[in-house]
Amino acid sequence: MELISGLSFQTLFDVSPDAMLLSDESGLIVLANPAALTLFRYTKEDMCKLKVEALMPVRHREYHKHYRKAYIHKPEARSMSNGRALIALRSDGQELTLDISLTPLKTNEQLCTLAIFYPTDRRRVAEEAYRASEERLKLATKAADLAIFDFDSNRNVLHWDEDMRLLWGAESTDSISNKRFSTVIHPEDRKARQSALDNAIDPKGNGEYNSEYRVINPSDGSEQWVSAVGRMHFEDGHATRLVGVARNITRQKVFEDKLRKQRNENEILFKEQVAAQTISAIAHEINQPLTAISAYSEVALRAMKVGGIYPDNLKRALEGCVHQAQRAGNSLHELLSFLNKSNLVREVFDLNRTVKEALTIAKDDGYGGFYPELQLEKKMPNVIGNKTQVQKVIVNLIRNAVEAMQGIGIDDSKVMITVQTHKSINLAHLLVKDNGPGLDVETQKHIFEPFFTTKPTGIGMGLSISRALIEANGGELWFEPNATKGATFHFTLPFAT
Amino acid sequence: MTQSDATVYIVDDDSAIRDALTLMLEQEGYLVRLFESAEDFLAAYKSEQFGCAIIDIRMSGMSGMQLQEVICERNILLPVIFLSGHGTIQMTVKAMKAKAVDFLTKPVSAEKLLNSVRMAVSESGRILTESARYRNASLLLAGLTERERDVLAEAVQGHSNKEIARHLNISHRTVEIHKSRIMQKTGALNLLDLARIALEGSTLIN
Repeated sequence: MELISGLSFQTLFDVSPDAMLLSDESGLIVLANPAALTLFRYTKEDMCKLKVEALMPVRHREYHKHYRKAYIHKPEARSMSNGRALIALRSDGQELTLDISLTPLKTNEQLCTLAIFYPTDRRRVAEEAYRASEERLKLATKAADLAIFDFDSNRNVLHWDEDMRLLWGAESTDSISNKRFSTVIHPEDRKARQSALDNAIDPKGNGEYNSEYRVINPSDGSEQWVSAVGRMHFEDGHATRLVGVARNITRQKVFEDKLRKQRNENEILFKEQVAAQTISAIAHEINQPLTAISAYSEVALRAMKVGGIYPDNLKRALEGCVHQAQRAGNSLHELLSFLNKSNLVREVFDLNRTVKEALTIAKDDGYGGFYPELQLEKKMPNVIGNKTQVQKVIVNLIRNAVEAMQGIGIDDSKVMITVQTHKSINLAHLLVKDNGPGLDVETQKHIFEPFFTTKPTGIGMGLSISRALIEANGGELWFEPNATKGATFHFTLPFAT
Repeated sequence: MTQSDATVYIVDDDSAIRDALTLMLEQEGYLVRLFESAEDFLAAYKSEQFGCAIIDIRMSGMSGMQLQEVICERNILLPVIFLSGHGTIQMTVKAMKAKAVDFLTKPVSAEKLLNSVRMAVSESGRILTESARYRNASLLLAGLTERERDVLAEAVQGHSNKEIARHLNISHRTVEIHKSRIMQKTGALNLLDLARIALEGSTLIN
């Protein structure tokens, strides 16, 4: 007891391993223990001239003055930081992260404050920072309408967040098997999504995952478009984890669909108008001489029946018939030669590349619901012809294939495009093969005739024009039924050399 | 005015069609005048001819439909037959509303065309007679004073002199004087004849 009672405040203060300061009501430092001097790197003399604000960064000083006044009004022993780490300033300008506790000490003259400094609990700070960052991420994803997923490709299990679960129809588990996850995806989109995933898993690839698919909510049957983007992580050349975000893009898709439909309708309308005007022009060219011939012949006929016409007039009528019949014939010849010439510009181009461009055009035009499979002969020589026309023909053949398949509701619409050198003759040979319904015998007979169509909105010019274009480019276009199902259209083009 | 006095105006930019139709119409005894454009026809046409016009719809320059509009605007009293490669229903309706006699499709049979021409020519005769009567009546009515026209308007509605006097706030005797002057000026035989004249020249009466 003696020993203990002999220990003065000063002694305890000086031996404490924790840095301690005593400040008066004005904030002036009246006492500093050696630990504090070491911590802040001051001499005793220097430190006891300072106000406590001198021990903190300039940016916090003003605020601290208010804080200090408030504390004097309501002094209590407590932590200064309420769990947050505080920043103190060393004499050499170095900032220190510390926890600080405050204790009021009443002396006779005035209220002093004892401040004790502890090194910050680093783990707690790290947790704090992590929590803040989580919070930020959550707010950001919420603001951007993003859902987060984390796919474990070893276990084939997907971890997902609340937003993602909502899209899938509110399953309350944190994770879901890939198989189960897929059942909610629209059957038509499953294959494309799986192949995007397979690509990302492939260690030879770049690990990028990018897929758009429809999700059918199992609880209410509603359909939503989802765009998922992510990146696969690899360990020792093996895919381990795919982290990414998913976004509901239904509104955008609906809008795009509307726009595309409108564009297609406009295009059909335009084509119909062009066709109507062309036909009307041709009809006029033929109808005029027919009208004259009909009138001339009736005049001649009546003259023969009734008599009373001058021989000169009869001759005029019959000559008129002959001239007008020839005029009609000439009009047709002119028209045909105009169609055949039509300023064909020839150029040397890479057929493989043109096939890829045609695929892009077909997809952009809203014929995206199919899986193209390309078999391109590498190092094939360039072909010669009008590239734009050839491209149009390829797009047309792809569309026909896709429409044929969609017409009978095949969801696995595969279009196989092969580019090869024709075996027997030295020509480039392109094949567009579908697994649609194929063509019946009657259709096969008429397929290349103008105005023959099996489509509700078609005008029946596609294949006849395609054939004319390929022939104008020095090739041939034909059709062969597949051994199993569907049809294959072929065309050839001459090589440039 | 018999059919053979009639002139058929052919407006068509196709010389073969003009030539063939000329032969056909001359064979029937019509006089034929040819124009290769609507503009030529309008420049040459003098008012109130007996006959009809056969107009092609599709012509370079002014079209057949436009020509018909001008014909209506200028009050040209010539019945019109249209010839067209393929007349749409709207076109036909529009032409018929503007009082075309017929809308024929090329190639046209002689029977159809000549039938239409006959109809159009008799229509032309009717229009010209009516127009002459109108001009006549208008001329007769033009000599009346304003007061006399008021009395005429009342009289042809079948009002008695007494009623007319009351309506116009004049004496019975004054009505009688106006009436006898009206009969004198128009040369009407009786009240019925006066009513006919008034109707034929009706645009002049208030």
